[in-house]
This record gives sequence, C-alpha cells and structure tokens, in this order.
Amino acid sequence: MTDWNAMSDAEFRKEVHQFFETEYPEELRHLPHRPKFAEIEHWHRKLHTKGWVAPAWPAEYGGMGLNAAKLLIFYEEQQRGGVNRGRDMGVQMVGPLIIKFGTQKQKDYWLPRILSCEDIWCQGYSEPGAGSDLANLRTRAEFDGDDFVINGQKIWTTMAHDATHIFMLVRTDPNAPKKQQGISFLLAPMDQPGVDVRTITTLSGETEFCEVFFDNARTPRENLVGELNKGWSMAKALLSFERIFIGSPGLAQNALGQLESFARGRGAFDDPVFRDRFAQAALDVEDHAALYARFADQLRRGETLGADVSMLKIWVTECLQRITELMIEAAGPDGGTVGPLQVGNVSVDVLASFYKARPTTIYGGSNEIQRNILSKAVLGLPD
Amino acid sequence: MTQTDMLSSDQEDLRLLRESARTLFERAGGSGRARKLRDAGGGWDSDMIGELAGAGVFGVTVPEANGGLGMGLAAGGVIAEEVGRVIAPEPVVLTIGLSLGLLRRLRPDHPKMEQLINGETTLAVAWQERGPGGAPADATCRYVDGKLTGSKAWVVGAAGSHGFLVVAGGHNGLALVLTEATADGLSVDKRVQADGSSLGELSFSGTPAEQLAEGSAVQDALAEAISDATALAAAELVGLSDRAFEITLDYIKAREQFDKPIGSFQVIQHRAVDLNVMLEVAQACVLEVLAQMDCETVPKIRARLASRAKARAVTAAKKITRDAIQLHGAVGYTDEFDIGLYLNRALVLSAWLGDDVYHRRIWLDAREEEGAAQ
Repeated sequence: MTDWNAMSDAEFRKEVHQFFETEYPEELRHLPHRPKFAEIEHWHRKLHTKGWVAPAWPAEYGGMGLNAAKLLIFYEEQQRGGVNRGRDMGVQMVGPLIIKFGTQKQKDYWLPRILSCEDIWCQGYSEPGAGSDLANLRTRAEFDGDDFVINGQKIWTTMAHDATHIFMLVRTDPNAPKKQQGISFLLAPMDQPGVDVRTITTLSGETEFCEVFFDNARTPRENLVGELNKGWSMAKALLSFERIFIGSPGLAQNALGQLESFARGRGAFDDPVFRDRFAQAALDVEDHAALYARFADQLRRGETLGADVSMLKIWVTECLQRITELMIEAAGPDGGTVGPLQVGNVSVDVLASFYKARPTTIYGGSNEIQRNILSKAVLGLPD
Repeated sequence: MTQTDMLSSDQEDLRLLRESARTLFERAGGSGRARKLRDAGGGWDSDMIGELAGAGVFGVTVPEANGGLGMGLAAGGVIAEEVGRVIAPEPVVLTIGLSLGLLRRLRPDHPKMEQLINGETTLAVAWQERGPGGAPADATCRYVDGKLTGSKAWVVGAAGSHGFLVVAGGHNGLALVLTEATADGLSVDKRVQADGSSLGELSFSGTPAEQLAEGSAVQDALAEAISDATALAAAELVGLSDRAFEITLDYIKAREQFDKPIGSFQVIQHRAVDLNVMLEVAQACVLEVLAQMDCETVPKIRARLASRAKARAVTAAKKITRDAIQLHGAVGYTDEFDIGLYLNRALVLSAWLGDDVYHRRIWLDAREEEGAAQ
C-alpha cells in the first residue's frame, strides 16, 4: 500500500498527472454534459483497479487516504486534465458519512459497493420549499414495523434517473422545537413502486436534474445512518472540505483558456474594449489563484479552514460567469447559436459554457447565503 | 534548515518589521498626523523622516554592502502597507523605489546613497515630460556641458526635496543628473493634489547639474526602478484600503438608524462582504507579486508582475474608498471624518505611475509578447 502523503507534493502531482494523461480516454476529456454511468463505466473500472476511486477515504476502507493538501492536488490535476468526476455522490457524500457515523455492518455492506459502483447514488437534500433554507425540509419518514415509510418530494436531485439508491435527509420528528432538529439521514433503494423520478429540462436542454416523488416508499430500519433525529449536524459536518474545493480555480482557468483561443480566432483582441475586459477577467482569475493558494497553504500546514474560505466561491463563480459572458460577446452575431462554433481548429460551444456557469452561483449554498455567512462569521456584523 | 523553516523565519522577520513600522506610525499619531500636515500646507515631517531612517526603512531593499538592510521588495511592501494604513505623506515609496532604486543600480558609490538611507536628504525623481508618451526616451529636456535646459512634469515630492534626480537627453543617449533644489535657473511650479500634496512642474534654464550616469544603463535602471516603485505603490494602496475598510466596518457596526445598527441590514452586509473579498484578493495578489519579483531577474517579467499588482490594487482601492463614503452616508462627504482622507490619498496614488486601465493594457501586451516569444 503506497503512502501517498509521504511523497513530496511535486512527486505526487507528477504521478497523478501521468495517470490521468495516459489512462483517461481522450473522447471523454472535458465532457460538456454529466455522463450516465454506462458512458464512463470503462474508466471507472480502470480507476477501481488502480484503487483511486476514493482519494479521501482512509486506506482501510479501500481509499487512497490522502490528507487535505494531497487531496487538493488530486482534484486540481483531475480538473486540469478535463477528467470527469464520474458518478461520485457515493464516494463524496454517503461514503464519508457511513465511515464517520455508520455501524460496522453498514460499512461492510455499503462501502465496497460504492467503490465498485454496484450501487450508484444520488443526493436527496433539496425540496421545493427547502433550497437555501434546507432545514425547512418536509419529506417525512415514519416507522412501520421493520421499515421506514417515506412520503414527500425531493428536487434538483442530480442524475436520479441513473441512480440505484438515494441518500436523503428526512423529517422523523415533526414536533421538534427547532427545524434543524428531528431530521434524520436515510438510505433508500430507488427501484421500488413508491419512488417516481421525473427529469427536469434545464435552460441548456440537459436533463441532469430530477424531481423524486415518494409515495409510501419503504426502506429497512437498518438504513438509518447515525442517530435518529441527528441528521442535520451530521450532514453539515461533511461540508468543510467541499468549501475550498468549490472555490478552486480550475473551472475559471479552463473557461479563460477557451475564451482566449476563441476570441483570438475571432479577431476580438484587435478591439481595445475587449482587450481591457479580457485583461480584467484574466487578472481576476490569476489573483483569485493567489488567494486560493493562501487557503491551500493553511491546509498544508494542517490547519482547519475558517468561514472566510467562502469568499473563494463567491469570487471564482462570479468570475466564471463574466468569462462565459465575454465568450458570447466575442461570438458576435453567433452569440445566440446552439452548438459548437468552429474557429480555425478550435471548437467552442459558447452557449453550453454560459449555461454551465449559471448554477455555480446557486449550488453549494447560493452566493447570497455565502455573503450572509461571511458578514456574520468573518466581519462580525450584527443581526 | 528545511525550506519550510527558512520560509517561516523570513515570515517572522517580516512580521517584526511590520510591527515596528506600525508602532512607529501609531505613536506619531496615525492618520491624524496626515490631517495636521495637510492643514499646515501639505508637506511632510522631517523628524518623521529621521525616525523612519533610524528604523532602516529607506535602505530596506539596498544591499547590506551598500549600507541597507538587503531585505528585498517583500519587506519594502510591508513598510509601504503600513505607510498606506496611516496615509503618511513622507516620501517612502518614492525613496525606496525610485531615488534609491536608481542610485543603487547606477551609482551605489555616490555619497547621496548614504544620505538618503540616513534620512539626511530626500531626492525627487524627474523622469516624465508633458507631450506624447510622457516617456524619458524622447526627452526634450537636455543636459549639455554640465547644464540642464527644458522642463519635467509630474514630479512627486518636488515641494519638500533637497534636490532632483533628472533623466535628460545627454551626449550618449539618456543621462541621469543630480541638481540641487536651490540651483540657479530652476523654477518649480506646484500643482495641488487631492490629498494636499503637490506635483512639481520643473523648468530648467541652464541649471548646473552633476552627471551620475549615462547611456542604456540609465534606461534600464529607470525601467527597473519604476517596476519596483509601481509594485510598492500597489502595496501602499493595499494598506490604505485595508484601513479604510476597517474604519468603515467599525462605522456600520456603530451607526444606528431605524433603531438598529445599519450593519444589520442585509444590503449593507453584502456590500461590506464584497469590499472585504476585494481587499483579500488584492492583498494576496500584491504579496504574491512582491515575492515573485524578488526571485525574478528578467526586467520585462518584473514589469509585467508590477503591472498586475498595481492594476489590482487600484481597482480595489477605488472601489473600497468610494463605497466607504457611501456607507458612511452624509458624514462621509464631510472633511471632518478621516474616511475622506483615504479617498483623497487613493485618488493620488492611483494616478501615480499608471492607473488600473493603464496597467491592464501593459500587462496584456507583455503577456502576449511573452506568449509569442515562447
């Protein structure tokens, strides 16, 4: 078993880079859509054989056991190489939760199935009335013999139509004094009569989001993870690493590269107005990377990140949006055209990039919520 | 020693330097001192120059062999930030970046070096001229037979300096010459700036001057000194923005309307967060740039880095000081509150050595040129 953490950062980066460079299928690089499992199954098998499906999990559970600093490098290389994250909800979300709060029996049963993708997971958090105000969720789960019976609706459930299981936050005590209490974390199979999945078509015409309806759906009692009614604090405990990952520079750097080659092909760099706006965007990306490096150094020194890490997400997602807006401007009369635009030997789908950038300021806690967090926790502004 | 240990001992040196500079300025009266000096006619305090020299401030980037601390631009940036925090009018960046930046590269043997480091003298640098380009390469100000003729514009620190380092056209291309403030045939026209300081317009008619250097070396040293000063001015703007934001944050926590602190309103909170994020990005950028400039030897790359820092710092300082006025409300528009002093200083520092738009242009041109060369 390799101790990746003992390697120098440079050595480790080289190793990861090389693997992604030589082993990842070219036709899957920088996929413009979220793939179904069948499309990337071959790549998943390779990762699984290599033992690299779960970089953050401890080695004893089949992960790579990377520390936070090494993990960042892994993800940076993944993004840089345009390597699809695969169907990683199981690895990113349920797995760590089971490792931290699950019983031995749950670990033995579920973890290997996550790594092999025998089970493919989707995340049932948001509801029509519970988005930014997630604790407002209403989907109920009640005991009935050895089962929970689930009734309610989830929404924005990414790729639910290609999942075998859902992990969800449900209300198990409707009479709890605070809305954050009385919420539990449940695992449930999707393939049963009480579960109905409908896809939602997005602005870009994709169908990666779904609504999931529960009408007396059932899941065994043993699929409760952690304590009953304590699901909220467990789910929150998982978010700390996600907060720097979601603010990493990769997406904006890739978009900037696309903008530059596209705009050069279009002759946009002859226009001084475009030049200034491009320079603004490019410097926004470069200076964000300097701030990101400061937080990454904190992880490298083994420190925990504070609430101020939220500023990375605000800056980089809004920057990404400006870059994709510039792509549309550089496209001129083609700015409303669906599909790839060819310039020389570069092909750029400006609308796809534009659409892809829109939800980044909404997901993972909308940027307005992030600003609320910063104003309270960092600036100490009063209620 | 491991690399990490070395890094942290460097960091420790910078922390101590920051602490002593901050104590020195705070003891002298912080930003209140800037107001007094402005009201007294817009100069600086020669006792303060002496104190700063005593702390080693002016020689911070001068090699130890030439009587300085040999600490590099990163340390200069720490000092510049502290100058910015209290909007001190003393010519710190001017001296570290330009006057000593030129002398230490061209004439480290000259007696003026020691006098500048010791704070016994201050020298303003006259390198620009009105007219197309404003650059020294097409200098119409001439140095012939030991005498200067012509004019120079936008000379920062002209009012209080003992003399001038003048870049003029000479026998062999550009010449760097030294003239005293009291020299014959020199007249200084002052243009008052927003912060009460002044820019000098210099006219020479047969003014006696001493040649210090000539030829392409002058051109090269000037370009390097301007890069240094540009990056240090960026650091000064970051310090200024940092303090302007602190003042504003305190104000919105204290000021009550509708029976609540205005800082409890979400629209104010989100604006404050945006300023804070902008500030943090600027701090990270300028720190990174100064550290990279200390390791970089190619002048064009150093110039590109300096432009990146100034572009970011000006963008942040403009936004922060202007929004600070809005968040203060009507009192922000009065001269009574210090926040206006920060706005005014930001206006002056932004215009000096190129604003954000100018530096973005330079930065992109340089980036393209480097890309084409690869």
